[in-house]
Amino acid sequence: MPATPPQSHEDAQREFALTLSGFSATDKPEYEDYSRCVHCGLCSNNCPTYRLWGREADSPRGRIRQMALVDQGRLEIGDTFVTHIDRCLNCRNCESVCPSGVEYGKILELARAQIEQKYKRPFTSRVLRDFIYRRLLPYPKRIAAAARTLRFYQRWGLASLARNTGILRLLGLQDRESLLPKIDSNFFFSELGKTFPAQGRQRARVAFFAGCVAQVTFSELNRATIRVLQANGCEVVVTAEQVCCGALAAHAGVRDVARNLARANFSAFHADDFDAIITNAAGCGSTLKEYSQLFTENEADLESACKFSAKVRDISEFLADLGLVAPLRPLPMRVTYQDSCHLVHGQKIREAPRKLIRAVPSVELVEMALSDLCCGSAGVYNVMEPKAALDLLSDKMHHAQQTKAQAILTANPGCILQLRAGAAIHKTGQEVLHVIELLDRALIKS
Amino acid sequence: MDSHAINDLKKLLGADAVLHRPEELLLYEYDGSVEVARPNCVVFPRHTKEVVGIVQIANRYQIPMIGRGAGTGLSGGALARQGGVLVVFSRMNRILEIDVENQCAVVQPGVVNADLSVAVAQTGLHFAPDPSSQKASTIGGNVSENSGGPHTLAYGVTTNHVHSLEAVLPTGELVRLGSPALDSPGYDLPGLFVGSEGTLALVTEITVKLTRLPETVKTLLAIFDTVDDATETVVDITARGITPAACEMLDGWTIRAVEAYVHAGFPVDCAAVLLLEVDGLREAAEQHAEEVADVCRLHHAREVRVARDARERDLLWKGRKNAFGAVGRLSPTYYVQDGVIPRTKLPQTLRRINEIGEKYGFEIGNIFHAGDGNLHPIILFDAREEKQFQRAVASADEIIGFCIEMGGSITGEHGVGMEKDRLMPLLFTEDDMNLMRRVRDAYNPVGLLNPGKIFPDTKGCGEIHVRPLPVAGASRA
Amino acid sequence: MNTASATVPSRLADIVGPSNVVADPAQLAAFAIDDKKPSVSVSPQLIAEIVEIVKFARKEKLAIIATGARTKLGIGLPPRQYDIALNMTRLDRLVSYDPGDLTLSAEAGIPLHKLSAILGEHHQFLPLAAPYFDRTTIGGTIASGVDGPLRQLYGTARDYLLGMEFVTGEGVVAKSGGRVVKNVTGYDIHKVMIGALGTLGVITRINFKTFPRLLSSRAFVSTFQTLERACGMRNRVSQSHLAPVTMEIFSPGVANLFSTETASRIAPNSIPENILGGSRWIFTSGFAGNPNALARYENDLRKMAEECGAVDAAVLEGPQLASAFALKREFIPLALSFSSAATILKISVLPRQIAEALTAATREAESRHLPWVVMARGVGMIYFTILAGESSEATKQQVVQASDNILLACAALGGNATIPWCPTAWKNTLRVWGPPRADFAQMLKLKKAFDPDAILSPGRFVGGI
Repeated sequence: MPATPPQSHEDAQREFALTLSGFSATDKPEYEDYSRCVHCGLCSNNCPTYRLWGREADSPRGRIRQMALVDQGRLEIGDTFVTHIDRCLNCRNCESVCPSGVEYGKILELARAQIEQKYKRPFTSRVLRDFIYRRLLPYPKRIAAAARTLRFYQRWGLASLARNTGILRLLGLQDRESLLPKIDSNFFFSELGKTFPAQGRQRARVAFFAGCVAQVTFSELNRATIRVLQANGCEVVVTAEQVCCGALAAHAGVRDVARNLARANFSAFHADDFDAIITNAAGCGSTLKEYSQLFTENEADLESACKFSAKVRDISEFLADLGLVAPLRPLPMRVTYQDSCHLVHGQKIREAPRKLIRAVPSVELVEMALSDLCCGSAGVYNVMEPKAALDLLSDKMHHAQQTKAQAILTANPGCILQLRAGAAIHKTGQEVLHVIELLDRALIKS
Repeated sequence: MDSHAINDLKKLLGADAVLHRPEELLLYEYDGSVEVARPNCVVFPRHTKEVVGIVQIANRYQIPMIGRGAGTGLSGGALARQGGVLVVFSRMNRILEIDVENQCAVVQPGVVNADLSVAVAQTGLHFAPDPSSQKASTIGGNVSENSGGPHTLAYGVTTNHVHSLEAVLPTGELVRLGSPALDSPGYDLPGLFVGSEGTLALVTEITVKLTRLPETVKTLLAIFDTVDDATETVVDITARGITPAACEMLDGWTIRAVEAYVHAGFPVDCAAVLLLEVDGLREAAEQHAEEVADVCRLHHAREVRVARDARERDLLWKGRKNAFGAVGRLSPTYYVQDGVIPRTKLPQTLRRINEIGEKYGFEIGNIFHAGDGNLHPIILFDAREEKQFQRAVASADEIIGFCIEMGGSITGEHGVGMEKDRLMPLLFTEDDMNLMRRVRDAYNPVGLLNPGKIFPDTKGCGEIHVRPLPVAGASRA
Repeated sequence: MNTASATVPSRLADIVGPSNVVADPAQLAAFAIDDKKPSVSVSPQLIAEIVEIVKFARKEKLAIIATGARTKLGIGLPPRQYDIALNMTRLDRLVSYDPGDLTLSAEAGIPLHKLSAILGEHHQFLPLAAPYFDRTTIGGTIASGVDGPLRQLYGTARDYLLGMEFVTGEGVVAKSGGRVVKNVTGYDIHKVMIGALGTLGVITRINFKTFPRLLSSRAFVSTFQTLERACGMRNRVSQSHLAPVTMEIFSPGVANLFSTETASRIAPNSIPENILGGSRWIFTSGFAGNPNALARYENDLRKMAEECGAVDAAVLEGPQLASAFALKREFIPLALSFSSAATILKISVLPRQIAEALTAATREAESRHLPWVVMARGVGMIYFTILAGESSEATKQQVVQASDNILLACAALGGNATIPWCPTAWKNTLRVWGPPRADFAQMLKLKKAFDPDAILSPGRFVGGI
């Protein structure tokens, strides 16, 4: 414990003037970005982890301060720093309330990139991260292979065997298991390279971004998305060479992988050929829209990134702008909407999905309290930090249940998985759907 | 700090609720202000009993203790100026009771201001004090600082909405001050403790008044080509006996900063705008809105816009509420002042602020609660340039000096804290302050609670003359 | 008084001049508090003189009680010691008034009605509609902590007091707050001076926020068969968007109080018989605004009254309204003048408990055949008045028992109850300040900080402070 804390800024400056920045030169949070934070603290109550634990270190302001302290050489990139930066959901709720416009998501990812460079994680964590970010997600074929294995596990009763014998509990995985997606029978990979014609007069020509894991777990959502687009006069091209958007890697600070994936997508999609590049995953969407953040000003790829990102639209954003023309049948049901963080906070899209929901006749939309607070899904957060994720989920299900809605709608596959697990764990009996699935259901199919 | 003390605290609260490692303490050396001071230990009580226990331990080891809510304060009120135990109330955040019929609620100090209003919104009530920090700041913090906000013009500040308090005195006594029923016999102790900036007691429970939401709200934006026209409009509105629910002013320089970011529809070529709100019964609000608009036009308002719906209203307020952040985009470091003047003195005061800016070579923006004469000049400077902060403080002092010359005050809502203790003698005589010190000593006899605040004196440690520099910038109104 | 007593008047005369010192016992009777006369009264005109007087008194261990119009000196316990009456009525200057800023600063001895007249010239007013309005000083009104009908909308003095200057028990001039409408500099010491009966300091100057005069106003009056229904009306209004200026409930029998000669002097324009007469509870609420708002209030209130089972309803305006307002404001003086042994309990409960508290109180009075009358404010303040005919020992016992039980009943509801007004002879038996208070120790600390030798108004306040 310091005998006398520094009581002035001069003292503090003297204390760190002697030391050097703890950041390496590349991929680091920049002074110009993090110093925009005037530590007013308005973000704290919007931060899910601060709400859980009430500690400055787990608030956006505190995390930014920790980055500043590392940059000033007053704090090392050690266990404490890594813990608090890891625990961030990257939901970017803080960005929505920040009066100073701090781009928190951007600097958080850079802080994580620093951790990748400067911190040695424990062996198992290293192996797991290496496998997920470097060896699995970038390769569609490996995703398919892994999915088949998992499907085998799920279909042949091994899941219940593992549960009953307590193996999962032994491995500390029992909570995570309930969050695992159900693997589809018919992967979406089979649709790659196809073009789906518009119904009626063609109003737009769009490329569809199918995602990575979504192709084995949300292929029906993807197909529904295409149907809704077609029905509303869009020709939909599912480009063949597309790969994972790189969001998970970028969020984890594995920026080289994210960059390579971005480059692959630049060549897979010829942005000029399309009116828009559509995604139904808010998490992917916000990364696709921010590809430019992966490249520095001197890199040639920056231009491609900007060109690409300019075309990216979330499905709800795109349809709300385009306007629905497909006739919809009434679906008498009460629903509530959970804002997906990367849609509402990452892409600042709040109204579009609500507009689409209201467009379905007889659907009653009841807002839940704190609908724009993270459900705990946050990419792979629910796997990495299950306790926190489940605590957040429990609050979320409470609020969702209070609306007495029959269905919870949302805008991102990750959120769907988490909310489905929540509905099961808390036995709310609520159905969880993507907004597009609701529209698809209401389509009057010929 | 004694390691035995830390062990005792851990025994009382659990290891999870005690922080003492340097890298953890670094995150409690700041709040929303430009001040810096680091505690020796940070604790997170969950109940009143634990607060009593903490105070007893602090007494046993003679360690200073400081209460803290969300740490959004703007005068360093929640900083450990002389080290010690920082008592953070973020985990004492339960709403204990909501009594809709009697329009009151009992809350723990860590309940966030806006969360209480959200919790009672369906009953048509709200907690009226609305500091700009209300989305994050705690009611305990509001009580300590006697927080105000844009709507305090009509609804009053925190003290007007507090019925009674449960508090732990620095000696460890648990006391209940006042009562939920009105006119509690005896001295108005809640009146004294609210706004005492955490120097008299650690508040552990608050009974607050809930106010009915108005039937109708009318929000107007009046656009002016000169600052004088805008300030004279405020003077005239007040003089005519119209009390708007809010009356905020932004000058042209600030409008341009805001508009570039918020796109609230503020015209960038004007000299000032007034954001006015009237509320109440439909019949009254509508007429007041017309009257206000007429006064604006009489003072050459170029245009008066009336928000047509809630969305337009929110957009106008967004421009106001994000103004400080928008300024932050122009300059990472700025210093927000908080002075008060009689409303009739607005025109000359703004002219004087402008002159002071020119004299020091600083850009000074003005965003403020015009309706109650509460100014918030924002002085932009570059912290990385030598002596700039000192010059910024000097110019701010000159502005405050002028406010006092006009018959005003050194702080309208941010508090004195450790930011303005040295300015207290501008307003109060040694006798005035001595009596206040006596009052403090009556409840805080050894000075263990939040030492080094409000009064330009010290107990225990040596006087601190050095003014800290901000690390980044600070902050809003 | 000690042996130095003989020289006290002359010493005081040295400070303020002989013409401002009164030592004649006959004249001093006017300054008596609970039959206790001071040995001298002194009328300073300057704050510096007050400082000298207090310092002198402290040195000589003399007790000082500041007085204004001497209308409310009966509140509280009899003084433990009373040597010097500090007559504040010569400190009656308006220090500053900025109508454009809606703020003013005035010396404590200025009469409330005089201040009102000045404000009226600028179409402004102070919502301090205190009893004894035509005589009382602002210092006395603040120090005694009395409320008025306007608190429904405007709150009490603590809500519009901006700052204060006073002289402490050590003869030190101190101030707190300021003159601007928003200010958080230093402790709000002026708040604890409100209702402190001068036990913390001699108030010398008060800064107020003023208010624009109300547009035309009216009062809605309706009568109900039962207390519960009248309270139901109160609840109904408070749940609506209406923001009335005043709201009171009066008990049956208030007509007796309001038909005395004193009352007719205060309120020359009589209130309609169907309202005031009879055995019904009266709900009354004043409101103000533009013609449209007035129509809305009237319409809504009539509808609510009907829903709540009102027997009769009327709207008062003009001279009748003025009379009705004056009667509400002067309820306490009227009650005290009605009966020489009037005992007034000031009860505060949460607004929804008014009916319950009153039911308990009336039961206690009725069972002892004590006549009673009530004014209850919508915010939860109840003035329960026992109009005992005479101050005999037997009556006293009845009143003591009734009031003790009422205090208990109120405490059980979580409310407060005190007995600010009662015959002097009963004060040692009645619980004037109610049951002992949990925060009493904290009050003592405050007293010590302000007046360590307890020379200011000793013994009159809560717990004998």
